[in-house]
Amino acid sequence: MLFPTQFDVIVVGGGHAGTEAALAAARMERKTLLLTHNIETLGQMSCNPAIGGIGKGHLVKEIDALGGAMAAATDEGGIQFRILNSSKGPAVRATRAQADRLLYKQAIRRRLENQPNLWLFQQAVDDFTLAGDQITGVVTQLGLHFEARAVVLTAGTFLAGLVHVGQSSYQAGRAGDPPAISLAHRLRELNLPSGRLKTGTPPRIDGRSLDYSVMTEQPGDDPAPVFSYLGSASQHPQQVSCWISYTNERTHDIIRNGLDRSPLYTGVIEGVGPRYCPSIEDKIMRFADKDTHQIFVEPEGLTTHEIYPNGISTSLPFDVQYALVRSMKGFENAHITRPGYAIEYDYFDPRGLKSSLETKSIKGLFFAGQINGTTGYEEAAAQGLLAGINAGLSAAEKEAWSPSRDQAYLGVMVDDLITRGVSEPYRMFTSRAEYRLLLREDNADLRLTEIGRELGVVDDERWARFSAKRDAVAQEKERLKSTWVNPRMVDIASAERVLGQAMEREYSLLDLLRRPQVGYQSLLTLPGAGEGVSDPQVAEQVEIQAKYQGYIERQQEEIERHHHYEALRLPPDMDYSRVHGLSIEVKQKLAQHKPETLGQAARISGVTPAAISLLLVYLKRMQGRMERKSA
Amino acid sequence: MASADTIAAVATAPGRGGIGVVRISGHGLEALARTLLGKPLRPRLASLSNFLEHDGSVIDQGIALYFPAPHSFTGEDVLELQGHGGSAVMQRLLKRCLALGARLAEPGEFTRRAFLNDKLDLAQAESVADLIDAASEEAAKSAVRSLQGEFSLAVHGVVERLIELRMLVEACIDFPDEDVDFLQAADALGKLSHVQAQLNQLLAKAKQGSLLREGVHVVLVGQPNVGKSSLLNQLAGDEVAIVTAIAGTTRDTVREEIEIQGVPFHIIDTAGLRDTACEVEQIGIARTWAAVEKATLVLLLLDSREGITPQDEAILARLPPKLPVVQVFNKIDLLPRKAGIEQDAGVTRIFVSAKSGAGLDLLRQNLLQMGGWEQTGEGAFMARERHLRALEQARASLENAAENWLQLEFFAEELKLAQNALNSITGEFGADDLLGEIFSRFCIGK
Repeated sequence: MLFPTQFDVIVVGGGHAGTEAALAAARMERKTLLLTHNIETLGQMSCNPAIGGIGKGHLVKEIDALGGAMAAATDEGGIQFRILNSSKGPAVRATRAQADRLLYKQAIRRRLENQPNLWLFQQAVDDFTLAGDQITGVVTQLGLHFEARAVVLTAGTFLAGLVHVGQSSYQAGRAGDPPAISLAHRLRELNLPSGRLKTGTPPRIDGRSLDYSVMTEQPGDDPAPVFSYLGSASQHPQQVSCWISYTNERTHDIIRNGLDRSPLYTGVIEGVGPRYCPSIEDKIMRFADKDTHQIFVEPEGLTTHEIYPNGISTSLPFDVQYALVRSMKGFENAHITRPGYAIEYDYFDPRGLKSSLETKSIKGLFFAGQINGTTGYEEAAAQGLLAGINAGLSAAEKEAWSPSRDQAYLGVMVDDLITRGVSEPYRMFTSRAEYRLLLREDNADLRLTEIGRELGVVDDERWARFSAKRDAVAQEKERLKSTWVNPRMVDIASAERVLGQAMEREYSLLDLLRRPQVGYQSLLTLPGAGEGVSDPQVAEQVEIQAKYQGYIERQQEEIERHHHYEALRLPPDMDYSRVHGLSIEVKQKLAQHKPETLGQAARISGVTPAAISLLLVYLKRMQGRMERKSA
Repeated sequence: MASADTIAAVATAPGRGGIGVVRISGHGLEALARTLLGKPLRPRLASLSNFLEHDGSVIDQGIALYFPAPHSFTGEDVLELQGHGGSAVMQRLLKRCLALGARLAEPGEFTRRAFLNDKLDLAQAESVADLIDAASEEAAKSAVRSLQGEFSLAVHGVVERLIELRMLVEACIDFPDEDVDFLQAADALGKLSHVQAQLNQLLAKAKQGSLLREGVHVVLVGQPNVGKSSLLNQLAGDEVAIVTAIAGTTRDTVREEIEIQGVPFHIIDTAGLRDTACEVEQIGIARTWAAVEKATLVLLLLDSREGITPQDEAILARLPPKLPVVQVFNKIDLLPRKAGIEQDAGVTRIFVSAKSGAGLDLLRQNLLQMGGWEQTGEGAFMARERHLRALEQARASLENAAENWLQLEFFAEELKLAQNALNSITGEFGADDLLGEIFSRFCIGK
């Protein structure tokens, strides 16, 4: 049956990528359909119940700055909040929260159900419909045909998913869900380059069977940090602690003795797992000299006793899991509620995507999330948001948008994915960002909210709050710059208290704030400093901008220097074999990956600066020919 | 398609030509020209100018030509400085341009810019491509040449240690929840000073480039009657030799400077090294001894008819014992003796006549060789120049890192910049590589 309503955008999948994509397209006032095989699992956290962390928290703030749901839902569902790296500088600080699975899911579900222009529908998608190389819609399990000119596919680990526990394996999406087999077949027929990855989870445990008295408590920060620029700590539900325990030599012996039945070590698992999130058997084999490993005992929620023992992800047989869990301190009587497992799944080589996340081969088809070889809720959600925005733009036949590497972690991630591909599940780290000092959690709104407003994903409330903050920051900076204090106004005691030394001449307040040891609040106590701002977000921003100014300017110069030709577009049908002087290897790489811009081409491994020069010359020649033809 | 930055390069062929040209292309060159020449330039008019160092001293005198955009070879503002052809002068001039904000041009970059700014017609396009291709190949070859052997090993040694340090710093930033404090456990500051020491050593060893900048320090021992100044004048030959006697703060400390094939030789005259009670003289003597400490060789000038005098012996005995000595026997024209060279037991004897010029080429070659100068093509030298600049950039970044130790993200940033500088020598080492190092070294992740 052809569904009577025509949509602008169809989003397939209701995980973190799918929900952000659907919400974004709907905020842009595109008629949007979210198709999921199960409405009950919309916004489900299938792995550990935590949002944020280093690099990831940065992504969440960027999602928030663009009007996305993840930060706000975490503020409503978070049961333990911490700022990581709080003793280090603002650029590397990041927010992390434990979330109550149910509360988080509810927060996402409520947003989806109340979002204008968004329809939800429960059906697994089996097929696409195409007209030439343009997507026209999707077909569900029941044979329902939905039409749209833009489709965002966020199939997660569902594509040909294979779950392993010990020597037994079965086809599945993620624990408890069916895999999307026919869709995987259909996509394989489209001949998109694909590969196979692996990820895993630990066994879950009934918290009542644990002895917390022998573990180390890890409480949240007080006062509790807030994720969304619009959020407040008053939205947080009851706060609880995490706990830390350790593996020991006995645990390691148990694991070593079970390795002959490990799917990982007997070659059953072919997919590549992430190096930064190794299974416990991997840790013990690769780091044999380490006699103990840290285990974080994370509560899954306020209304459940289940806990998530973060650090013992495993695909060992259940009897080994049982013994290894019980060998740990405080876990002697642990009751496992769900066995740990590893899952292998298909991903598509993201080098087949444009920076808009549209596939290069099929117009109107966008991929977002784990299907692109990434891991993590935050990475998925950020891609979903971008794909949703671009699906919305494409449905209105507008030009695509994607942030640059100096603008957002989202830009770093997408550029990494499409120019370098993945060799393991891709996770965000701050070390991936060349311009780390510019891409901070505290200024994600200043970097992105204005663009988000133009794109139509930022609503009036956020825009008003943002504009007020932006103006207040500018105003206060101006005030500090034009307010001067001198040794006559400032007595020596005050100077020593605030500045650590006497003042030798006149300074502007902004100059003083640049000094590493001078904080904003203490600066305001100087005689003659005047009335400051009370909004902590504004005060923080003023202080950081002052302290970072030298570095920020330097990075901005570097950006300008490096980006002459960054945005120069390469025609998608460019025949690289005709570019004189390019090596065969470079020709092949460029032809295979079809970079969209010269900047992207330069980041493909093996493409040399000389090759970029040759491309420039070739482009120029082509341009000359075109001009002569049209003349 | 305009580029924002300014590029500079020596445009003339390497060697000892009478005239050398440094070419600069970019936007807004007027200001640069005014600083460099100390006066404004009129477009397309040859003007006799002094090329000025930052302190106002004269690098060289020559012809300056200014072509404002778009009427120039590249279509941008172009400044051409025609000076004397010695490579040392050209390098100093180039270095001055770089200090004023230009960067060293990539191979073929002037031509590329000319092409991109429509200054070459389409028929020339293929040849431009060939040129870029060939030039980059040449650059690559010369990079490989200069990267062989000890230099390369030393650079890689520094890079390895730097990576090790960065790995700790980045692990500390990206994985704060791990149960080890990577930095404290590993004495990061100690590691940094180790990298710095290693890099400084490397820089000190990277003589080739710095020879042209710093020159060779030579201790001159010889009595006034052996023909010192005529020999020095002869040695400098037809090069842009600036033979000047720079009087020190006291009358007895004298340093002379000559150039041999573009390499500056600082001659420290030991004539003033004698016991004295005069306080002023003592200061001068102390300075001369300090200069002797930096010397790479001793030039002992003798009258062939007399050989080594007791005064010479006395001074030689007080010089650092490991300095190689070149004994130059002058005035062979007064003896039945041919020009030539003898070497044994660390002592080189060269027989010359400053008057007839016999043996002087031998002496020049020997001094260059002893000074550590290897004669190679200009391309190879340019590559090395690039390397030295990269090493110096890395050194500066490491110094900043040491200053910013307390702010980890700045510390990390400076280390990254140091690595970026070294990447231009050793090849790309990106974020992925660094993460790979972290994961292979530490058991990270939950």
